[in-house]
Amino acid sequence: MSSQNIVLETRKVTKRFGGLTAVSGVNLVIPEKGIISVIGPNGAGKTTFFNCVSGFYQPDEGEIIFSDRNNKHVDLVGFAPDNIVALGISRTYQNIRLFANMTAVENIMVGMHPHLKTTWFEAILRTPRLVKEEKDSITEATRLLQFVGLAGAGDELARNLPYGAQRRLEIARALANKPRLLLLDEPTAGMNNKETAEMTEFIRRLRSELGISIFLIEHDMHVVMGISDYITVLDYGEKIAEGTPEQIQKNPRVIEAYLGRGAAAGLHKKSAAADVVAQ
Amino acid sequence: MPNYIRNGLRSGFVFGIVIIFLILIGFTRVANELLAPLVKGTSQLPMGFILFMALLGLWAGASAAKRSPVLMGMPDTYQKWNAIISGLIAGIIGGAFVGLFIFVLGSIQTKGMDMRVYLAQLSPDAIKMLTLGRVAWAGAFSIWLIFVITGIAGGLLALFSDSFKLGERMSSSWKNMSAGIGDSAIAKTVNQNAVVRYILYGIFIIILLILPSFLGKYWNYTLGTIGIYIIMGLGINIIIGMAGLLNLGYVAFFAVGAYTVGLLTAPAPQGLHWNFWIGLLVAMVMAAFVGWLLGIPVLRLRGDYLAIVTLGFGEMIRVLVRSKALSSIFGGPQGVRDIAGPMIFGQRFTEREYLYLIVAVIIFTVFITIRLQNSHLGRAWGAMREDQTVAQAMGINIFRYKLLAFALGAAIGGLAGVMFASRNQYTGPEDHTLMVSVNVLALVIVGGMGSIPGIILGSFVLKGLPELLRQIEDYRLLVFGGLLVVMMIVKPEGLWPSKRRQLEMSDVDLPPETDALQVLEEQSSDQKLRGES
Repeated sequence: MSSQNIVLETRKVTKRFGGLTAVSGVNLVIPEKGIISVIGPNGAGKTTFFNCVSGFYQPDEGEIIFSDRNNKHVDLVGFAPDNIVALGISRTYQNIRLFANMTAVENIMVGMHPHLKTTWFEAILRTPRLVKEEKDSITEATRLLQFVGLAGAGDELARNLPYGAQRRLEIARALANKPRLLLLDEPTAGMNNKETAEMTEFIRRLRSELGISIFLIEHDMHVVMGISDYITVLDYGEKIAEGTPEQIQKNPRVIEAYLGRGAAAGLHKKSAAADVVAQ
Repeated sequence: MPNYIRNGLRSGFVFGIVIIFLILIGFTRVANELLAPLVKGTSQLPMGFILFMALLGLWAGASAAKRSPVLMGMPDTYQKWNAIISGLIAGIIGGAFVGLFIFVLGSIQTKGMDMRVYLAQLSPDAIKMLTLGRVAWAGAFSIWLIFVITGIAGGLLALFSDSFKLGERMSSSWKNMSAGIGDSAIAKTVNQNAVVRYILYGIFIIILLILPSFLGKYWNYTLGTIGIYIIMGLGINIIIGMAGLLNLGYVAFFAVGAYTVGLLTAPAPQGLHWNFWIGLLVAMVMAAFVGWLLGIPVLRLRGDYLAIVTLGFGEMIRVLVRSKALSSIFGGPQGVRDIAGPMIFGQRFTEREYLYLIVAVIIFTVFITIRLQNSHLGRAWGAMREDQTVAQAMGINIFRYKLLAFALGAAIGGLAGVMFASRNQYTGPEDHTLMVSVNVLALVIVGGMGSIPGIILGSFVLKGLPELLRQIEDYRLLVFGGLLVVMMIVKPEGLWPSKRRQLEMSDVDLPPETDALQVLEEQSSDQKLRGES
C-alpha cells in the first residue's frame, strides 16, 4: 500500500450534528487505482463521511488530503463542492439524482462543466472556440454513453430510461468530469442479480480502462467482497476494522457489529463470518 | 340528500352569491350596455340585463345538471328528471338570493334613501334597472322567475347537448390543440424543411414591416407597449424561466434603465444632454450592474425569501426616485421630462418608427435568449433549476451563475426601460409601480415559462386584450383574475409552453420509446458489456 501513490487520505475526520457524532476520527487511505469500500450497518455514518469528502458537509475536525491531477496535495476541508469536483472527485448518489427532464447527452454535458472554458459573452457571439467546444462536448458525451453501454439513448430523457440505465447514466455523468477519484454511493442498490453482476464488472472496467480510483459504499456483501482491495468498516461513526476482504470476514468486531454481541459469541467465528458474507 | 338535489343547491348558492357580488361592483350595468345591442327591443325594459341574467341562469342550471352523475342503466326519463330537478333547484335558490337582494334594494330605494352613500355603484338608475323599472317586489319576482325558467332550461341543455363532460372535453381539446402545434403535419413540414421555414420567416417579417404603416397612431403606440412588455418578459424569463429564481421586483431594473437614460439625456435635473445611443448602452450596463449588486446579498436566499426581498427592492427604487430629499438627483415626484430619443433626419422617431425600433430590440433579445438557452449556460441554469445540490456537485458555481442570470435579465429589463422612457419622453415614479412586475410575471406565466412564443402570446393577451376590451376597462383586473385562475386549472404550463416545461409540469411519466428500449437491452446484455472490455 505504501509503495503506491495515494490519491486520498483522510486524517481523523470528525463530523458532529448537535450532540450526535456521525463520523468520529476516521482515518482512511485510497491508493491510486484502488477500489476501497466502506461498509457498516445502517446509520453508521457512511454517507456522512462521503459528504465530507465531496464537500457537502464541512468536517468539524481532521484533514482530507487529495492529490489532484497534477499530483499536488490539497486539503479539501473548507472547499465548496464545485471546487472539489473541479479538482477531480466525482460522485453518484444512493437515490439516483439525474436531471430528470434533460436528455442523457445533456446530463453528461452538464457533468463536463469544470472543463469548459468559454464565457457567456462567447455564448452570445457563438465564437468558433465555443462552437468547437460544444462539438467536442457532444462527441465526448456520445463516447461516454457508449462506454457505459447506453449508445443510442442519447436523446432519451433521463426520466424515461430504465432503472439500471439511469444508474449507468449517473456514472457517465460523473465520468464526464474526468475524475481521478470516483465516489459511488451504493451503485447496485435496487438491482437484481444480473444487473448487479453487470455493475460489478463495469466498476472493474472503470479502474482497468480509465485508471480511476474508486471509493464505494455498498450493502451487497457479494459485491463488496468480490471487488474491493480494502474494506473499512464503520459503526456508530467510528472505524472498527480495516483490511482486505479476507481479513474483514474473519474480524470478530465486524461480526459483532452486524449480528450483535450475543450472536457473535455464540457462533463459531469462522462460519459466522462466512454467513455474513453469504448474505 | 340525493346527489342531484345537493348539486342544484350548491350551484344556486354559488351563482346567487356571485351575482350579488357583480351587482355590488356595478358589473351588471356594464353587462347591460354590452349585451343591449344583441337584443333589439323597443320596450322600456333593460333587455341587456335580462339577457345577462338569463345566460347566468342557463349556466347555473347547466352546471348543476352537469355535476349530477349519469347513472348507468337508468332509464332515460330518470336522467332527464334528475337534470331538470337539478336545474330547477339551482334556479330557485340562485334566483331567491338575487331576487331577495333586489327586493331589499328596491324597498330601501322607495323609502327614499340614497344607497350611493354606502356603495357608489348602487345609484337610483342602477337599482331601477335591477327592478326592471317596476315596484320592488314585482321586479324581484320577475328576476326570480327568469332565473327559475332558465335554470330548468340550463338543466335540459346540459342533458341534451351531452355536455356532462363539457369541461373535460374542453380541456382535452385544448390539450390536443397545443400538442397539435408541435405535432401537426404543417408543423412537421415547417420544422423539417428549411426553405419553407425561411419563407415563413420572410412573410412574417414583411407583415411586420408593412403592418405599422396601416395602423393609426393609437395602435402603433399600443403595439409598442406590448412590445416593451415582450422585451421585459424575455428578460425576466432568463431569471425565472431559465435560472429558476423567483424575482418579484423586476420593475427595479426597468426603472434603472428608464432613469439612467432619462438623467443622462434630459435637460433637467442633471442637464447632461448625452446622445441617446450612448445613454442606452450606459443604461443597460447600469441595470446589469444593479442586478449584480442586488444579487450579491440576495442570491444566497432560496425560493420564497428571494421573492420577498426582490419585491421589497422593487418598491425601494420607486420610493427612492420619488423622494423629495433626492429630487435634485432624480427629479422627485415630477419625474424626468424631455428625455432624448433616437433621431432620423434631425427629427424624433414617430410612434411608427418606435414600433420598428422596438421590434428590432425584440429580435435582438430573442436572439440572445436563444443563444444563451442553447449553450452550456442554458444547461447549467437548467441543471440548477432541477436540482441545485447536484448541479453544484457537477462543478457549477451556483452563486456565479445566479448572479449572471440576474445581471443579464436586468440588462434586458433596463433596455425595455430605455425604450419606454425615450418613447414617452418622460419617466416618473408612477411608471415603476409593483403592477409592472406583476404584469410581467403574469404574462410569462400565462404564456408559458421558458417559451419565447409563449411570452409573445402572453404579452398580447395581457397587455393587448384589455385594449380591445376598452369597454370593460374597469373590470380588467377582475377579468384577469378569473382568466388566471381558469388558466392555472386548465393549462397550468401556459398557453404555449416550452417542451421542457411541459414535461416538468406533467406528473405522468411518458412511455419510453420502444426503439430506445431495444437499443438499451441489446447494449446491456452481458456479452456486449464484457465483449467490449
